[in-house]
Amino acid sequence: MNDLLPFIIAGITSGSIYGLTAMGLVLSYKTSGIFNFAHGAIAAAAAYLFYTLNVEHGIAWPVAALVCVAIGGPLLGLALEFFARLLAEVPPARKVVGTVGLLLAIQGLISVIYGGDLRSTPQFLPTSRFSIGGTQVEYSQLIVVLLSTGAAVGLYLFFRSTRLGVAMRGVVDDPTLLALDATNPVRVRRAAWLISASFAAASGILIAPTLGLEPLLLTLLVVQAFGAAAIGSFSSLPLTFVGGLAVGLLSSLSTKFVLGKSGLSGLPPSIPFLVLFVVLLVMPKGRLVQAGVRARAAVRERSALPRPARLAIGAGGALALLAVPQLVGAKLPVFTNGATFVLIFLSLSLLVWTSGQVSLCHAAFAGVGAAAFGQLTTQLHVPWALALVLAGVVTVPVGAIVAIPAIRLSGLYLALATFGFGILVQRVGYPSSLLYGSGGTRAVPRPGISWLSSDTGFYYVVLAVAALACLLVWAVYHSRLGLLLRGLADSPLALSTMGTTINVTRVLVFCLSAFLAGVAGGLFGAAVGNIGGFGFGPFESLTWLTVLAVAGTSQFGAAFVAAGLLAVAPAYYPSGWNEYQTLAFGVIALIVALQLPQRYDLRGRVARAARGSAQRREASPLRARPALEGVQV
Amino acid sequence: MTDTQTLNPSDLTDAGPAGLTVEDLTIRYGGNVAVSGFSLAGPLGWVTGLIGPNGAGKTTTFNACSGLLRPSAGRVSLFGADVTNLAPPARARLGLGRTFQRMELFDSLTVAQNVRLGREAALAGCNPLRQLISTAADRRAIAAAVAEAIELCGIGDMAGLRAGSLSTGQRRLVELARALAGDFRFLLLDEPSSGLDKAETAVFGSILRRVVEERGSGILLVEHDMDLVMRVCDYIYVLDFGQPIFDGTPVEVRRSPVVRAAYLGSEAADV
Repeated sequence: MNDLLPFIIAGITSGSIYGLTAMGLVLSYKTSGIFNFAHGAIAAAAAYLFYTLNVEHGIAWPVAALVCVAIGGPLLGLALEFFARLLAEVPPARKVVGTVGLLLAIQGLISVIYGGDLRSTPQFLPTSRFSIGGTQVEYSQLIVVLLSTGAAVGLYLFFRSTRLGVAMRGVVDDPTLLALDATNPVRVRRAAWLISASFAAASGILIAPTLGLEPLLLTLLVVQAFGAAAIGSFSSLPLTFVGGLAVGLLSSLSTKFVLGKSGLSGLPPSIPFLVLFVVLLVMPKGRLVQAGVRARAAVRERSALPRPARLAIGAGGALALLAVPQLVGAKLPVFTNGATFVLIFLSLSLLVWTSGQVSLCHAAFAGVGAAAFGQLTTQLHVPWALALVLAGVVTVPVGAIVAIPAIRLSGLYLALATFGFGILVQRVGYPSSLLYGSGGTRAVPRPGISWLSSDTGFYYVVLAVAALACLLVWAVYHSRLGLLLRGLADSPLALSTMGTTINVTRVLVFCLSAFLAGVAGGLFGAAVGNIGGFGFGPFESLTWLTVLAVAGTSQFGAAFVAAGLLAVAPAYYPSGWNEYQTLAFGVIALIVALQLPQRYDLRGRVARAARGSAQRREASPLRARPALEGVQV
Repeated sequence: MTDTQTLNPSDLTDAGPAGLTVEDLTIRYGGNVAVSGFSLAGPLGWVTGLIGPNGAGKTTTFNACSGLLRPSAGRVSLFGADVTNLAPPARARLGLGRTFQRMELFDSLTVAQNVRLGREAALAGCNPLRQLISTAADRRAIAAAVAEAIELCGIGDMAGLRAGSLSTGQRRLVELARALAGDFRFLLLDEPSSGLDKAETAVFGSILRRVVEERGSGILLVEHDMDLVMRVCDYIYVLDFGQPIFDGTPVEVRRSPVVRAAYLGSEAADV
């Protein structure tokens, strides 16, 4: 028992912080129906602000902490409530895009200001020790546990016994009824977001000394709260806190058990995501009711361009793509990469825009495909082209596994489950000998024919595969499955009561999407010759979804625009612009998801402004003169 | 079971071939009993009405019939076969179609595509291959069914418009057309006339009669518009607080003091 005690104490310490984070997350979700993927990013922002105040400017830690938790957190909370109010009306896929965009924006901003390197922050709480059962415990650990538990109990009591707390419970059930009772639902939600953001800020400050300051690490690790929130079925605050403790304990104890077992070293840090994935799979469906009102799907705008214009753009684009090797010189590999990304975005948009299901593990599909392609070609000596197809085929079962949660879950919960799955694949799958092994990389050859393996030749190979993928997606879109998928996005209920077993439809589209992503993975590998799981992590999955949202919702146009934005454009930015890329994608995705252009009718305003100025010009005396002269003559 | 219930489902077999039959249906939500001991027979060739005040359990009964809710007790049969344990898509493939009180249209699809899915969805069924591709015979059947349903509901002029851009009345017609395009021999229509004006409701009623008389389909109709109910229904069941309180022909229902007290009020005398 005694050799477990240090792990238990460490587990309770980190677990209480997870619990604190998760309670904030659940609070805002319960009251507004918006699940804030950016919750961890808020924690990261607070930790950095604290670092600036406390370490860089030498302000005493209680003051610095107060500034972050009582001023910074609530200010962000205000902004979040505004976003959440707008997001309440958009379909689930866009809600996810919105807060993921916010995550990237905050994280991008932190990177711009502080750089992406890991900084260590000193523990600001007292580090002297006392002994429990022979194990040394730092006072800082005790204080962290007491603070977190205190905040949790305080929130619970607030919810139970104050007027505002009871109103918060009411606002979930029926905001209109609450409004009739002379309680403003917006005010109640705002209070919930303020508390939620402050909790996030507090947990960021508390956990930073143990984790270190690194934007991605904090953003993703505080996302541990997902697992805790899942245990509380995203609604019970006390259970959520208990869930946080459980996640912390499990992670910490598993560190002890996998010591010396190299193949499992990825397990402890992925425990929260394992918990999330498993809980979502086994939780009775009735407990996972999505909070918030059901939004009517936004009617997708039809391409404003007439058919001949679209054909002309397509033909012109195709010619330009064919001429690329003659035009771009040494930047050709960038375009090869871009052409591969066309496959990724085709596959993602088929899933997200056409069928209305969110995948936050698309990079994992590509990662599996790349590893499979490497093994098929170098170890099993399968012919190159056949191996590429097989790489896609190997990825199909992975897609089917992800589709299992899709059968039970939809919208937000599906997004969360896929996110958990992506992290599992990265932490546990990639290091295993099945995928990349302990070396972390696999050799992937280009086609055996010498011209095709040159940079120019390989570009054309990738372009041809992308063209085939376009054809495939076009055929699917116009087939029966395409119509079913579009129906599925609008109303699964109607489709199901009309006779389609929609679980089959969901599995089909996930398999198809995984196939395309797997093929793309193989091409990524062949382009660089030696590939590892590095570029196929959960952060890439988030970025890909965000970039797709930025590029629009048209089935083909968006895939090309997104590929251009993500893979090609950075090669042409002036130096120094690249660090703003994540920030820009995040902000634009948020704007797109909030549907700000439609909300404020930007297009109409521009048109009216143009019309107005034309009318003014016509009415102006300068223009009127010729007519008058005409009368005189 | 209340003693005001005068007719057993078995007594109705002479009305027409069995369509939808519900026996002793009980549905509880937690401790609340939403529907208790309700039996109903909706034969083919008839429009069967289901009326009652708000919260009487009409939509709950509908959801149990189409498989969205699992009943706590009781049996649902379709064309003589027990379907109590079948999932909604399987019931639909047997020939049970429905509309929703809050319309469930495919808003981003055109009216024609909506109606087409009415047929296509059941043809796609649960077989992955059938979901991927359609046969030439399918396509012919779909084209014919879509054309007929669009013509019957008179929505030809809006076939190319997005369903999301239509008015409530138009959307009701599209949802009906979508259900009619399907190969459904029995339809559950949940307040199909709410949001329609008088003229639209009249058109709606005549479409329902045509469907029943020309196609021999059966319809179970939940409706608050008593004019429409009295005009199109062959037989009416009345629910109140989850309990069946009366059933009979429109004339009997109108005269029943029980129904008048619970639901119709004094205005029933004027209808």
